[in-house]
Amino acid sequence: MNCEEANRFLDAYLDRELDLRRYPELDQHLRVCPSCQSLAHEFQEFRSLFAASAPYQAPSQLRAKVLAAVRQQQVKHAFAFLRQPWVYATGVVVLSLFLALNILFPDAAGELFRQAVLRHSHSLASHHPVDIASANPQVVKTWFAAKLDFVPPVVSFPASGYVLFGGRVDVIQNRLVAALVYKRDKDAVTLFCWAPKKEHLPKSDHLIEGYHVSTWSNAEWNYILVSKLSDREMDQFVDSFRVHIQSGAYF
Amino acid sequence: MRQRSADRLTQEDPRRFEEIFLPRLDAAYNLARWIIRHDPDAQDVVQDAYVRAFKGFQRFRGGGNSKAWFLTIVRNTAYTLLNKRAAKENLIPYEEERHANIILIDDPDNELPAEAQKEYLQRALERLPLEFREVIILYELEGLSYKELASTLGIPVGTVMSRLSRARRRLRQEFAGVRHSE
Repeated sequence: MNCEEANRFLDAYLDRELDLRRYPELDQHLRVCPSCQSLAHEFQEFRSLFAASAPYQAPSQLRAKVLAAVRQQQVKHAFAFLRQPWVYATGVVVLSLFLALNILFPDAAGELFRQAVLRHSHSLASHHPVDIASANPQVVKTWFAAKLDFVPPVVSFPASGYVLFGGRVDVIQNRLVAALVYKRDKDAVTLFCWAPKKEHLPKSDHLIEGYHVSTWSNAEWNYILVSKLSDREMDQFVDSFRVHIQSGAYF
Repeated sequence: MRQRSADRLTQEDPRRFEEIFLPRLDAAYNLARWIIRHDPDAQDVVQDAYVRAFKGFQRFRGGGNSKAWFLTIVRNTAYTLLNKRAAKENLIPYEEERHANIILIDDPDNELPAEAQKEYLQRALERLPLEFREVIILYELEGLSYKELASTLGIPVGTVMSRLSRARRRLRQEFAGVRHSE
């Protein structure tokens, strides 16, 4: 083995991953070649830098979000399992499993979204969908500051076609939430937003009674978006909104 | 369904999923963060990956290496998001150095303090093309073997060997570059 080859395989050798055939060859070469020895030493020194480096740690709320997302799946999984024909033959087992799962994984999240849909549709059907009607985010934000003990992020991104119509305070499952209404042509979306005490909403999408519901959260806010827009339009709205929030272009 | 009635809730017990995979949360986030380089998106990727892993858990059934399998899912999910956002970094093949024997860390007697080392390393890593960055992260920070790397990245072991070697060479260059720009 010459120096050029040795150099190619040096990393694998130091990783102890070099194949059985080449290993002794490289080993032997290192014994007799001082410049390659020196190179090996340099490589090793550099690699030791990694010992000190710390990988990123998952932010604290991520664990809660992941657990919530996985458990939502567990409920779906359990109910899919229960629909198979042979299961019904073992009636008692099925019933107690059903009850146990309902107790362990109550579908509280589903109820939350249903209420959001109800509030959205009722408010639009009424003559009074907003308490503060303004396309100016600062005006809307100031209004919320006087009504709630949190001030929601209010952004305006007319380039997307959606215009801020206004806001109101709403109640969903005994929580006070900020409701922001955006309109585009004949479509209206409601973005519910609140500061979570404990639970952060996992990212999810639902179709409830003909309405699309998208949920997500970040460190400060839980969001629920409700509308009759298509999946793609919902995604676009969420993307526009998040871009504006992250760029700090809000008041 | 063709599944045997014997492997029901015991084998695919959802609780087992949590036991096995929740401890990998930091590893998943670390990988997602190094690929996506943006915290909120990295969190979304991790969540999606866990959901996918749960759904695939039935087929996986604990056979083989669950860590490599799971990190593959995280990686694929991250790339799906990257493609969606069309924020791809350039994957132009790196031109090989002709003079491969050059020692790229000069001044070995001039030791850097540990904090500076950490920071320079981090910055150097950030400068790597994605292809190099991920193979180094997976090897050095996640401790995958070459074989696991091959499976996670979908390439032969020989390619892992050469890519890792080239990645480290490039990293050493970037490190020296970062250091000298101070």
